[in-house]
Amino acid sequence: MSTIKVNRIENTSTTDGGVSIDTDGHVTIDGQQLPTAGPLSNRNLIINGAMTVSQRSTSNAGQTATAYRACDRFQTGIDSLGTWTVSQAASAPAGFSKSLKMECTTANASPSAGSFAAIFYTIEAQDLQLLNYGTANAEVVQLSFWVRSNKTGSASFAVRQRDNSDKLFSKVYNFNSTADTWKKIEIEIPADTAGVINDDNGQGLTLAWWLNSGSNFTGGGATTGWEALDNTKRNPTNAGIGGTVNDYFEITGVQLEIGSKATPFEHESYGQTLAKCQRYFQYFPAGAFGRWNSSTSAELGSSFSVPMRTTPSLSINPNDNVCNIFRVGITTNQCTVSSLNNAYMNPTGGVAALTVSSTASTPNTGDGAAYDPDGDSHVIFCSAEL
Amino acid sequence: MYQLINNYDGNESRYIKMLSTGILIPKVADNTDYQEYLAWLAEGNEPLPADEP
Repeated sequence: MSTIKVNRIENTSTTDGGVSIDTDGHVTIDGQQLPTAGPLSNRNLIINGAMTVSQRSTSNAGQTATAYRACDRFQTGIDSLGTWTVSQAASAPAGFSKSLKMECTTANASPSAGSFAAIFYTIEAQDLQLLNYGTANAEVVQLSFWVRSNKTGSASFAVRQRDNSDKLFSKVYNFNSTADTWKKIEIEIPADTAGVINDDNGQGLTLAWWLNSGSNFTGGGATTGWEALDNTKRNPTNAGIGGTVNDYFEITGVQLEIGSKATPFEHESYGQTLAKCQRYFQYFPAGAFGRWNSSTSAELGSSFSVPMRTTPSLSINPNDNVCNIFRVGITTNQCTVSSLNNAYMNPTGGVAALTVSSTASTPNTGDGAAYDPDGDSHVIFCSAEL
Repeated sequence: MYQLINNYDGNESRYIKMLSTGILIPKVADNTDYQEYLAWLAEGNEPLPADEP
């Protein structure tokens, strides 16, 4: 068997493109890096990395606490560090159309020790078994993403692995040398041969992009590989975003993949991404059917189109506490839901019991009830986030 | 603050309610809202009893 040893193969009339092979044997074709490990498709371990799905809301002003808000699967972490508008922004680098944006509307130039502002993303543990963490075959992974901010300088990224031993990897990166300009970042996360990730539906890895924090989370320097959790190493270089009103941080194109080289972002259809997101969050299904238990209370049952990670929590859309429940046979009966009273749910669906404070026509006990959400606003949230 | 919920038959529901948000939380170990409730209980707090039927 013969081996051809070359560094590049290209057309005799060109000076770029073609096939390149680096000193580690990794291959680039026409400028596109090929995967060095793992599958050729479904490489991205991040759901909604292009920020296209935003089921809860596209913009939420006045945010002061940690919660899932705009873009699905990405949790905005805020604790005593200013007030923010969290949105699915139309700003994006070439090849993308959306980003997750945190914009400060009330600044905090002197954060108290325990305060922070960050973006978190948690990956389900059973989806990380291909990393072989806790074994000699543990895989290196590559994180790539695009960021834009009015600020320039360095910021911190960290990964936390809670199973078995609470461990941390953190890294300082230069997020921007020119204000208001998109920049692509690549960070290599080393293999962890000691930290087993449980093969279950709990938290596997939590990624954190730190915008700002108090002293509890900074000052310890970045980790050298995976270490036991030290809170002062989670945000080793504090970017201070949110120290001034109108500070903002946008992120999109988030991809995490095994291998020693980052590859181009793996785009997928909106429908594919939405279905993946619905494992963690979805609306109570339209068309749910049930009965009125009184003139002001009803029970509705239905099945989810995508089974959820676990039995979900239920809440009325906090942005609009109106919900359309119809008395069957009456065409207009928009109800103002005053509370969710009880539920009998499991990950595949179930029954919700609601009380309404007003109805357009008075239903009788035993009348049929049908649930007809009006677009994305008049909905019941079902959440099984990590 | 949380409140227990009773079913129509008077038995305790599989859900509890967070009063500040109105969120219904299932008593399921891998639901993160329930994990927060358990942590709240571990701090020595107690939920309100269920409303009378």
